[in-house]
Order: sequence, then C-alpha cells, then structure tokens
Amino acid sequence: MPLYRCLVPKDSLNYAQRQEIAEAFTDVHCGISAAPRSFVHVWFIEADGEEKVKDSHGTGFLDYKTEFYIAGGNRAGRPSEVRQEILGGLIEKFCEISGADSQNVSGHISEGPASWTMEAGHILPEPGEEPAEWYEHATIPG
Amino acid sequence: MIEFLCTVQEGCIPENMREELEVVIEKTSMEILGHANGPFSITWAEIPRDFGFRGGNPTTTSHVRGQIPDGCDKETRERLMKEIGERWYDITGQTEDELIVAARDEGWEGNTITSN
Repeated sequence: MPLYRCLVPKDSLNYAQRQEIAEAFTDVHCGISAAPRSFVHVWFIEADGEEKVKDSHGTGFLDYKTEFYIAGGNRAGRPSEVRQEILGGLIEKFCEISGADSQNVSGHISEGPASWTMEAGHILPEPGEEPAEWYEHATIPG
Repeated sequence: MIEFLCTVQEGCIPENMREELEVVIEKTSMEILGHANGPFSITWAEIPRDFGFRGGNPTTTSHVRGQIPDGCDKETRERLMKEIGERWYDITGQTEDELIVAARDEGWEGNTITSN
C-alpha cells in the first residue's frame, strides 16, 4: 500500500507519461505520508468506458463517469483532509502530465486497516506507528 | 464466501503456474478459515509490461487481495496472509519483497472519499 490504479482510455498515455505520473504520485504520497517510496504502487489500466473494471479485491466493479479515473487504496487512520490533499495532488499531477482536462479526471481513495495487508513479509503498521526499521524498505526493488 | 483476486505483472507468473497457486491458496484459506466459510473463488488479472510501477519504477510485484467473512481475529488473518505468502514464494520463486497479500472483511465499506 498505497495502490493507485489509473483507468485510462486505450493508447491515451505513452510510457514516458506513465512513468512520470507514477513518479509524481510517489512524490505526492510520500510528501504527505510516512510511507517508503517503494511502497507506492501505481497501475495503468486501459478501459474503454464500457468495460467493467473490478475493484482491487475482486469483488464488485468500479463505477466512474469521467474519461480518466484514479482509484486509490490506502491504510486507514488519516484525517479526511489529509486524504483529500493526497487525492487533489494526484489529480493535479495527472492532469499536468497527461494533458487531460481536469473535468475529465475524477477519483476516490478508500481505506483499509493496515493490519489487513502484508507487504515485504510483514504486516503493515498503522499510520504514525511505523518503526524505524520500516524505512529500510525505501530501496526495495521490484 | 472467500474471494481472491491475484494481480500479476506480465511475464512474471507463467500461466502454467497459476492452477497450482489457485489450489494452494484455496487449501490454505479453507484450512485456516474453516470450510464453513466457503465457497471459495479466485480470479486473475495481468498488468501489461510497463503499465505497473512501484516507487516510480517498473515493477514485478504480485498482489493477492481477497475478502473473507467478517469477524476474523487478528492472529488468524495474519496467519492466513503469511501462509499464502509462504506457498506463493515456494511455487513462484518470487521473494517477500515481490508480494503483497491482503485480506479484508467482506462487509468493509472502505471509508471512501471522492473527488467530486
């Protein structure tokens, strides 16, 4: 965690744009939260708007009405203004890099308790309770 | 009902490995959560090469995300995720750093915020 999934029209973004957006999302998230950079996951899913895209756990489908959509999943425990700040930052960067009109981009951030996710073989700590050794993951490849 | 979605990066988990993974994830889930919590289902999704990133770089990381019946205690949930991880490492050769496992309550609504 976090996981940010960008639903985009087919062939709307080239590799350089995808990579730049992924890096910008990492900057936004890590600039606001304490997560190591390597914990920020960004996927791009090409969808034509009629195709149904499952939610991150395979149950239900995402409901979105704009051409581009950012579906985020974070650890629970942050105030809603912090989550709004993250989501606003992601949308701003997405528009800047993709050239998409902000009217065509929307998104959401859902939360789940940290203890419901295992990453790098460890159960995730709650926001604000990260032990010092957690930051050793900052250079994990892959 | 127990449902998992395995999302893998293109070229990282061969098709012929997936059936074995499905069998062990189902067996592990049923043993730990109890057969009464079935049925079990699992689906796969593949992120095309250069469409998945981690820390801003292309990634090989796999995600095994599921939902399980509400009311699972902390120790049981952790054991489930860790054992699924162990089976996954054994079969795929991926390392701990290349796997995310998540198990959320089926009734969890996500405390979602939206942009508009």
